[in-house]
Amino acid sequence: MKTGMKTATMIRNSDHDFLTRVKESEADTFAQKAVAKAQDAQWVKREGAREELGNWEEWRNLGEQIRQHSVRYLPDYLEEFSDNVEKNGGHVFFAQTDVEARDFIVNLAKEKQVKNVVKSKSMVTSEIGIDKALLKIPGMNLLETDLAEFILQQDDWDEPTHLVFPALHKNRDQVREVFMKKLGYEGDNDPQHLARFARKVMRERFLKNEMSITGCNFAVADNGMINLDTNEGNADLCMAIPKIQVVCMGMERIVPGLKEAETMDNMLARSAVGQKITTYCTFTSKQVDGESDGPEEFYVVIIDNGRSNALGTDFEPILQCIRCASCLNVCPIYRHIGGHGYGSIYPGPVGSVLSPVLQGNYDDFADLPYACSLCAACTATCPVKIPLHKLLIKHREIEMDDLHQSKLIDDVVMRVVGLGTGHSSLFRTALGMDHAMLAPLTKNQPETAENLYSNDKHLEWMPFVFGGWTKVRDLPDPPAHSKNFRSWFHTHEPVAADPKVAQHTAQREKEIKAEGKA
Amino acid sequence: MTDREVFLNTLAEKARRPRHQLQNHPLVPVNNLPETTLSGKTQDELLEIARRSSEAVNATFQTTTKAQLPAVLDAFVKEKITDNTDDPYQANDHNHLLLPTSDLYADFGLESWRDGLSNPTPTFWKPGVGRQANIDTAEHAGAAIAFADFLLAESGTITVQTTPGQGRAFHFLPVHYLGIVRKSRILPRSRQAMDYYDAALKSGELKTSNINFITGPSNTGDIEMVLVVGVHGPLDMTYLVVEDM
Repeated sequence: MKTGMKTATMIRNSDHDFLTRVKESEADTFAQKAVAKAQDAQWVKREGAREELGNWEEWRNLGEQIRQHSVRYLPDYLEEFSDNVEKNGGHVFFAQTDVEARDFIVNLAKEKQVKNVVKSKSMVTSEIGIDKALLKIPGMNLLETDLAEFILQQDDWDEPTHLVFPALHKNRDQVREVFMKKLGYEGDNDPQHLARFARKVMRERFLKNEMSITGCNFAVADNGMINLDTNEGNADLCMAIPKIQVVCMGMERIVPGLKEAETMDNMLARSAVGQKITTYCTFTSKQVDGESDGPEEFYVVIIDNGRSNALGTDFEPILQCIRCASCLNVCPIYRHIGGHGYGSIYPGPVGSVLSPVLQGNYDDFADLPYACSLCAACTATCPVKIPLHKLLIKHREIEMDDLHQSKLIDDVVMRVVGLGTGHSSLFRTALGMDHAMLAPLTKNQPETAENLYSNDKHLEWMPFVFGGWTKVRDLPDPPAHSKNFRSWFHTHEPVAADPKVAQHTAQREKEIKAEGKA
Repeated sequence: MTDREVFLNTLAEKARRPRHQLQNHPLVPVNNLPETTLSGKTQDELLEIARRSSEAVNATFQTTTKAQLPAVLDAFVKEKITDNTDDPYQANDHNHLLLPTSDLYADFGLESWRDGLSNPTPTFWKPGVGRQANIDTAEHAGAAIAFADFLLAESGTITVQTTPGQGRAFHFLPVHYLGIVRKSRILPRSRQAMDYYDAALKSGELKTSNINFITGPSNTGDIEMVLVVGVHGPLDMTYLVVEDM
């Protein structure tokens, strides 16, 4: 990534610094429990759906191939796609930046004298900040139609917390309160009653609007159709009723043909929500002759907005992402700090990799590559095999080696550690002293599953830069030098093998030799 | 806006890869899993897989014969369309039966059934009457009966293409929904359906702007991840398989 190219400007969604955001997230116990529940539930569904399909690793190879190939030949496929959209009577606009994309849509709405816009859920429209830009037009009514986004809009544009479940951090009482306050709802907090009420409100709006804005899960190069996946069907209503449809598309969301779109839809649904395919999976373009509904005017805005910062760099694989959020759903860090902890509209491991790439620098997201335990669960679950944890390490390398963003004290500490671990005598001396030196700070604690191998003692606080560890987790008390593994190993002689085992082994060796000769 | 050539050249330069290389490097899939998964099943086996998959996505799965089809449809209409004014979805004139305009009635032996309907008198999605008229008709439908192209066994999905006689909103605005599909059109999975649509679009045999894969009724888990059915589209979904076709 070539740093210093500031491009995406709207993806930061919090003014607080990382540690403040983490503290705020930790204080929201409902959200923490909701995230844990969602992760656990999605684990069962996702793994079950993949197992039922069978050959999952082979499917991943296919998914990776399709996405890598699409990104590798991105200009060619975008050219083919845009030609085909225009052949179908639609229009394509290329936006290098969020400003260009926003201006195009706002000017289109003004030119067409649009006063009512419905939107389906789309990450790229959040990325370019289109909602607030459109609402600056006098008399404009804009409605988010995905239930979660609708709830967030009614709650004064609260920030989403998850790519697939944006309102995960809200409970039913909070939703009820928002509906009562903003929409005059008088019912109880039953999710079914709340959803049916939202259906009624939104249905009335659907029937009287002039323009829709949708995202695009996949754009089909060889026929100019776009492919959208939803469970609610709100995107389909957006694509059926208004006369004008604007599709916002991150430029990498391209696939060669319908078959590749179909493969990716299957992998997306299984990875996102454990479904074989989403309830509504639609392939669509401008209305053709004889049809009554569907868009009479069809516009596709293809958006770069920092994505090209990844091209030709180690970060190119992030463009393979299909936004399934399975990496969020396995991430231990996301489990603890939720979506708001990341401070970006793209949370979780994918957000930690993508946000600095889109922004083109580390100004707002320098902490995110460190919000990672490097457990690599994200890489293991990714349906298109993005090496997420390796890309996070790469971000760290750039921050440290190229940008020298480490603090002076960190450098000193790491030099001392490097010296100590680079000389055996110094290392042995340090091992001999660590237990004694840390003894005044240790606390007794019975051993449990949570603090296994703690020697019944642990440290809750350490001074200086070491406190970075104990701020977020306890440190087991290191064993006394006489009890550590190296000392134990030296004091134990190798145990002679049981004579019967030795006899069996010798016999088996003879047999193997004989088999080899035969 | 950025000029297309400038945009695409910028990408090629950043990637350090020249444009227009695709012709010599087409995608050759590393495996054929999309085609071979669930392949080789008989129509009877696919029917049973489709039944299980459909029930798993909260769709009502029914089978019938061509001879019994009118009676089964009558029962559906009687169950779903009521004059009950306490029903918020059917009061205020939302109690019509919506039907497509289609040549397929003859194939299914439904012409006399269609022409004899009187309670309720059906409304039709009509080619040529315009956007607003068709959308209004669909919005006031208590139930819709559609002709589906395919039923996908693996996922319990029906597929429908938009036609002048069966538009997009036909499948989304009515309160209840039934899709008729012949048993011979049950396919293993979405790949086989996509193969058909892809070939038909490319040959020009199919002219449509929109293909819907619909898997059960509209649903959401957006409030505390509790599954709620019917947040936007029909509140329920019935697949009716005609076994002897």
